Amino acid sequence: MTGAAGRAPATSLPRILGPIRPRPRWVEARLLALAAVTLLVGSVSLRLGVDGQFGLFDARGLGIYLAALALAHVAQVLAGRRSDQVLLPVVGLLGGVSLLLMQRLPQGLVTLGEGESALGLGDVQLIWLVLAIVVITTLATVVRSDAWLRRYKYTWAAVGIALLLLTFVFGADVAGQRLTLRLGPISGQPSELLKVILVVFLAGYLSENRPLLIEQDTRLGPLKLPPLPYLAPMVAMWAIALGIVVIQRDLGAALLFYAVFLALTYAATGRLSLVVIGLVLFVAGSALMANLFEHVRDRIDIWIDPFADPLGAGYQIVQSLHAFARGGLLGTGLGEGLPMVGGRLPIPEVHTDFPLAALGEELGLVGVIAILGLYFVVIQRGLRIGASAADDFRAILATGLALVVGVQAFIIAAGNLKVLPLTGVTLPFVSYGGSSLLANAVVVGLLLAISDRGVEPPPAPSEATGWRRRLRRGSA
Amino acid sequence: MLATSSRRRPLGRTIVHVALVLSVAFGTLAAAGGYWAVVKGPELVRSPYDPAVIAAARTVPRGTIRDRDGETLARNETDANGELYRVYRTPAVSQVVGYASSRYGRAGLELAYDAELSGLAGDPVADALRKFGTDPYDPKDLTLSLSLELQRAAVRALGDHSGAVVMLDPRNGEVLALASTPTYAASELADPATADQTFQALQDANDQPLLPRATLGRYVPGSVFKVVTAIAGLGSGSITPRTTYEQQPTSEEDGLLVSGFRVRDGHHLFTGSRLLDLVGATEVSCNIWYALTGLETGGANLVDYAGRLGFGAPLPFDLPTTISQVTNGSGDAPGGFVDDVELANASYGQAETFVTPLQMALVAGTVANGGELMRPRLVTGITGERGTRTIGPTTVSRVIEGADAAAITEAMTAAVESEWGRRYTTGAKIPGVTTAGKSGTAELGGQGEPHSWFIGFAPAEAPTVAIAVLVEQAGRGAEVAAPIAGDLMGLWLDSTR
Repeated sequence: MTGAAGRAPATSLPRILGPIRPRPRWVEARLLALAAVTLLVGSVSLRLGVDGQFGLFDARGLGIYLAALALAHVAQVLAGRRSDQVLLPVVGLLGGVSLLLMQRLPQGLVTLGEGESALGLGDVQLIWLVLAIVVITTLATVVRSDAWLRRYKYTWAAVGIALLLLTFVFGADVAGQRLTLRLGPISGQPSELLKVILVVFLAGYLSENRPLLIEQDTRLGPLKLPPLPYLAPMVAMWAIALGIVVIQRDLGAALLFYAVFLALTYAATGRLSLVVIGLVLFVAGSALMANLFEHVRDRIDIWIDPFADPLGAGYQIVQSLHAFARGGLLGTGLGEGLPMVGGRLPIPEVHTDFPLAALGEELGLVGVIAILGLYFVVIQRGLRIGASAADDFRAILATGLALVVGVQAFIIAAGNLKVLPLTGVTLPFVSYGGSSLLANAVVVGLLLAISDRGVEPPPAPSEATGWRRRLRRGSA
Repeated sequence: MLATSSRRRPLGRTIVHVALVLSVAFGTLAAAGGYWAVVKGPELVRSPYDPAVIAAARTVPRGTIRDRDGETLARNETDANGELYRVYRTPAVSQVVGYASSRYGRAGLELAYDAELSGLAGDPVADALRKFGTDPYDPKDLTLSLSLELQRAAVRALGDHSGAVVMLDPRNGEVLALASTPTYAASELADPATADQTFQALQDANDQPLLPRATLGRYVPGSVFKVVTAIAGLGSGSITPRTTYEQQPTSEEDGLLVSGFRVRDGHHLFTGSRLLDLVGATEVSCNIWYALTGLETGGANLVDYAGRLGFGAPLPFDLPTTISQVTNGSGDAPGGFVDDVELANASYGQAETFVTPLQMALVAGTVANGGELMRPRLVTGITGERGTRTIGPTTVSRVIEGADAAAITEAMTAAVESEWGRRYTTGAKIPGVTTAGKSGTAELGGQGEPHSWFIGFAPAEAPTVAIAVLVEQAGRGAEVAAPIAGDLMGLWLDSTR
């Protein structure tokens, strides 16, 4: 594919249709088959657990899902991309686990439509999952250039901030949090999309300014810092995170954005001093928030001792821990957990905030560790794509994309397990919710696209011009 | 190939660092999962807050609770809607058995043994196999060491007083009676038809009928604490049964001056200027002798030996207990006393000394059992599908040597049987049985009548029953608590003879 560089003139448009030369993806095919078998066994186990009969729990739903995965595989084979072959099966397995879980929970938790034709939780989640697979496949097969991300990083930043401001101002308050943006019939949680935009912007900014950020020309006591203007994004990021906490009351998203930002800054610069400053700012910001805002303080108090008020403030987390305890080492078995007690769910919001606890009950510690392992594989593949990328932009982009999934999974899993205060982020690919599934599908789709060694090579680094060159020369 | 590429260091190294941090983070999650699912799991799944436990309560019959003679104390009834509720034999056992109400939760043994009664807890093998079974629940029946007859007699004896009676077999720790008054009708709390008004009335009551005084009440012990002082003094070797104090007779009239505080006595009419030893001092409940013994023993030893008897920590018991204390530990002197005045006062059970009736029964039981403290037990058998698990006697610790226990027994026998002693323990003597004991009159610092106490055991030569009686603000120990103790021990010895 070395000829590609010579053949393709520098164009900012993605090439929709390249020369199509099918290329088999045996690793992906085998792993997908393994995932399918796992899900089929799970579905049989679920049916046995729920009504004691042998057979698939919801053959139609699972069939549609597996067919969608198979088509995604075929599409990639036909597109002839040499992209990563592990991500799709792993994400597919997580999505399948999500489908089984949502089919198994009370269907009335979410309904779409009315009357006889109304769709329940499992069916609605199936629709989102299939859409997510469509998004992954489209991005993985169509995107052959990253220029549209690379060139317009400030545009992306502007889009992101616009989304954030729209949510600040027009967002609907749901359960004390202002996360949901409604535009006519469509509603969604912009913070899910925002995390992708954030990574794209950071990849552009950090890769372009990397040489400057590595330099150490400002001294602040024992710390050697890059030129101060280049620290502005760090402060801005901190302020945005605080804004999210104050206005949206979304501790989870703030934590996610800030953690990904710090990790990417470190990955790009290798400067521990920046991480230290970031952590100091984090601690200061947290202390400030905890002192000023009751909802932050409440979260922390509940985290420290949820058992102090097991029926009130600590109810959710205590019920989550009880679910893990009921699961024990091996779990109760799919369908054997406690769906309802006295007409109520034991864990409120189990389908969005506590899927890991539900899985912990039915699949046990072994299942929880397996699920965590799947996330770790996603992280590992993403970081691997980053480490072997052709240039800094792609390296940071891939690392960041892997991190938004991995860190988000960590934050909510840690919340479920009382390792961190509980925050309302979703468990990627498993929680119910369209915004979350589609945003994470974009992440996986982009990772697949840039993992292709045949993707259009990066442009030559541009010479620094104007004030930026003066700054660079002056500091040298 | 490009000039700028020399400036560019590959990102691989820092990405590996990021991966390492994430590995640690996910490792932490796995460890946390293990902690909650495996380490803390067994405790959490038996908690009354576990929804599985709550769900089981509505549909699964709870186990039956029976006394030592097989008398049923708690059983199930079905209401009009088909939901189960609990029926209790008598209010006399409410403070022990407690209640299980769909609205007001659980108390007493119904709370402490909730997992067993509702059938969620079993042996580890059954727990592991349960998930493969069709009926996940195996409710267990409880057999108690309690005697319904004795318990009823104890509640009757306390009458309209607020108080508590604890009776146990000192040889094996079996609790025979654990009465607290006033009590309440647990059946009315458990019956959905009457639960609301009953609970409201109980909460509004001034005399706290829901408080199990025998285990959760904390009282100034007064002179019954002298037994603890004797145990500490003899056990630590600070005194012998023959120890006398020269200043004791001379101080009887005006009181003993300790760092400016006067320890007073009221028995010089009987003893005059006689030099008292352990037996003599216990016989007439000599505050001065015990204050001097406390000072001789030292605060550290006193607190140490009290700790061996169970002070300073919740008691190892089937029901929750309040911590008994010798001192509140706020001082810098050995043992946490403020000064010698506090130590001297604590030595005869005043100052900052607070005890539960159960703790004092254990003190009497330890002396009765030759210095060895047995773990107090209510539940002696747990019966399920897989048979009965018997809970046998366990020794908590040897507190003092047998010879020291014998010396204290001799002193406590004198306190009940001797001519002078009888004045302090009127009615404690069981006809035809050598009885040992110590009365107490716990002054409350001018806030009304003192608490009336008695602890003791019988027969003194081979004790089979030990007792602690507390009657709140009923006056001198000799007048109220001692006769109750004598009657109840007599009743028990008659019924087992």
